[in-house]
Amino acid sequence: MTAATADARPTRPSRAKRNLALLGTALLVGWAVFTIDVEIERLADLPGGLALIFHNMFIEDGLDWSSLGDGLLLMLESIQIAWLGTIIGAILSLPLGFFGAKNITSGTVSNIVRQVLNAIRAIPEIIVAAIVFIPMVGLGPYAGTLAIGVHSIGTLGKLSAEVIEGIDPGPVEAARAAGGRSLQVQRWGVLPQVMPEIIAFWLYRFEINVRASAILGVVGAGGIGESLQQALIFGRYPRAGMLILVVIVATILVDVVSGWARRRIIEGSGAKGGSGEPIEEPDFAVAGAGKADTTGIGAADGDGGPA
Amino acid sequence: MIRFKNASVTYPGGVQALKNVTLEIPDGQMMVIVGLSGAGKSTLIRAINGLVPLTGGDVLIDDVSVRHARPRQLREIRSKIGMIFQTFNLVKRTTVLNNVLMGRLHGAGTMRSVLGWYREADVEIAMRSLERVGIVEKAYVRASNLSGGQQQRVGIARALAQEPKIILADEPVASLDPPTSHVVMRDLQRINTELNMTTIINLHFLDLAKVYGERIIGMRAGELVYDGTGAKADENVFRDIYGRSLTADDLMGEAGAAASTTG
Amino acid sequence: MTADQVARTPTARPTKPARSPWVPLSLLIFLGLTWAAASEELGIGFDIGELIGNFTRGFPFLADFWSPNWAFLPQTYEPMLETLRMSIIAAAIGCSVALPISFLASRVTTPNLAVYLADRGILNVVRAIPDILYALIFVAALGIGALPGILALVLFNIGVVVKLLSETVDGVDPGPIEAANAAGGNRTQAVRWAVLPQVLPNYVAYSLYVFELNIRASAVIGIVGAGGIGRLITTERRFFNYDNLSVILIEIFVFVFLIELISISLRRRLV
Repeated sequence: MTAATADARPTRPSRAKRNLALLGTALLVGWAVFTIDVEIERLADLPGGLALIFHNMFIEDGLDWSSLGDGLLLMLESIQIAWLGTIIGAILSLPLGFFGAKNITSGTVSNIVRQVLNAIRAIPEIIVAAIVFIPMVGLGPYAGTLAIGVHSIGTLGKLSAEVIEGIDPGPVEAARAAGGRSLQVQRWGVLPQVMPEIIAFWLYRFEINVRASAILGVVGAGGIGESLQQALIFGRYPRAGMLILVVIVATILVDVVSGWARRRIIEGSGAKGGSGEPIEEPDFAVAGAGKADTTGIGAADGDGGPA
Repeated sequence: MIRFKNASVTYPGGVQALKNVTLEIPDGQMMVIVGLSGAGKSTLIRAINGLVPLTGGDVLIDDVSVRHARPRQLREIRSKIGMIFQTFNLVKRTTVLNNVLMGRLHGAGTMRSVLGWYREADVEIAMRSLERVGIVEKAYVRASNLSGGQQQRVGIARALAQEPKIILADEPVASLDPPTSHVVMRDLQRINTELNMTTIINLHFLDLAKVYGERIIGMRAGELVYDGTGAKADENVFRDIYGRSLTADDLMGEAGAAASTTG
Repeated sequence: MTADQVARTPTARPTKPARSPWVPLSLLIFLGLTWAAASEELGIGFDIGELIGNFTRGFPFLADFWSPNWAFLPQTYEPMLETLRMSIIAAAIGCSVALPISFLASRVTTPNLAVYLADRGILNVVRAIPDILYALIFVAALGIGALPGILALVLFNIGVVVKLLSETVDGVDPGPIEAANAAGGNRTQAVRWAVLPQVLPNYVAYSLYVFELNIRASAVIGIVGAGGIGRLITTERRFFNYDNLSVILIEIFVFVFLIELISISLRRRLV
């Protein structure tokens, strides 16, 4: 081997691009910080304020057990809203998932479907509930259920489409070769491959929907949200505290049970690893680092699929 | 000097990876360890820098116990021991230079290293290590863009950058093709003679072991079963160590033997 | 016996393995729960008939939806900008804080079981609280405005990023970590040089993702008074100005869409 001489050392490559990006980000954050209209002095009140609220909620008069009954019933309603909403979303999103998958339907159709799904996804449930369904069916949990259902169609549809696009074409080919009609091909060639993952997505969506439904009451769409807001506004802190506890415990319980079910389903199917949890919503195909995810690249990218 | 005194390692499952190994390795020696997978080669080498903690006995480096070293002491000990891995263990996403600078981590303060503000002296040492293995021109290249042999040389440079007294190499050429393997082995040999660093190498290929091993240690089922020169290690010896007749898999073969000018 | 005869001796046909009783049982439970949830007495009172019948009830309002009142647009600028500012600040703070917490939430970088469990425990509680609930609490503590909104979003961001990033950290290549330890580095150094470079692209992707989530979320928390475009939505809704509302919704959608575009191209460049 030749011994390299000192003057063969390369020079450090320019880091201009990286520095520019960092500078840009810093400027953006700086702009936001300096132009926002916020009374920063109030921040000093925060620890005190929070401590006071915490004290009022849980300590001053002890826990408000009298509100436990209400809390449980209302939380149950919220969970039911999430349950039904997720079911609606799941059922309706499945065919849409097929339509939105490039390998099942033609490019144009699938693109249109995907864009529609994106549009639905972009609007938060609570707004959908407030603006669309309450005028239609009046206040109450019905509106909330429909709102969650419709929003879920968007997310689940997109995720399902991506899973379908990522399947192994082998069984599909085999089904077609055996003379199956399109619907049969999908039922026997595609569905078995994608069902475990899609069901896992449904469960995950349920977990998220429980959180959303707990809040819908704020606009009058049912569940524990309205009572919670009322309690806070009218200063009935012990009641609010109990309701919050109910929300937290219930959500964690749902997470645990659903998480367990998801893991069982994914392991049982021997599908790609992970816990059946999509990277919350969109699209992370970042160079293979991290868990196996089935998500592709996002809204605008026509040639999606797992990158 | 490295001394093993009845060193034993028993894993939680009950597996005894090392059984009462007693051994002395004088400074500056080039020692090769051979044996089947699972015979204890990896464990033996990792016991020296404490990556595998002993469950019995002790290993002493210049009369300092590795087993009883407190965390800070252990890091100090490790900073004087450079290690080279079978899978290179480079950070693929970053540059060669950054990888080599990992060898200077111990000396650089935590603050400095987190911010990446290495002292000029450290960078100089890193560059010189790269020159010594002959790939300084790749200093700013992303590690993943290099060939296997080049990556291993970066690994060696990283170890050298520590300015260590001991070099440990755990199957350094197992992932490389024969010609490249010889290049790497010759590098290690040169480092051993020129810089007088104690060099301990795990090898899988017996012909390679014979050529480069001034002293050969044979491990079998966690025990030391052979300790002698390369010259005396013939087929019978190897058969004892391996517990079976040699197969073609145990030899790297003619394909890469002798002077190779590649790399 | 000839080979033929040996080969053709029929083996007893296996009986179909008994289906685990769990499958039909869980299906039954599932249907039961669903029916209960939909029923009038036990649940929500889901009525398709009512939906169809009332479909038209909303029409007069929704009709306005299809003719967006673009003259309203300028009035949305300031609230939208506030949403943008809130989202940026919350993402910046949230993602920065989330980085060290993520390392604590992964066994790979935190061998200490107690610390790891504590971190994950707190994380689960933080994530169990919906962003709007945070907003409600902070508004109760600080009054309405953008400040409580930012705080709520920060907590929300931390929850999301730590979960995602810690899972990424769980999956890194442990080799470089071993190398860092073998060279005598301490835990911080190992994290900085062996783990961080591996997860950086993901970290950036997650940060962009929560920024996008913030835009949508701030539209919502504004409804409870925590700043941003949500307040405008509440006002317009009260007056049933659906033509204005549709402008707002379109705006939100465009924004989210643009940010997704930017983040995709940024992410591609990073890899």
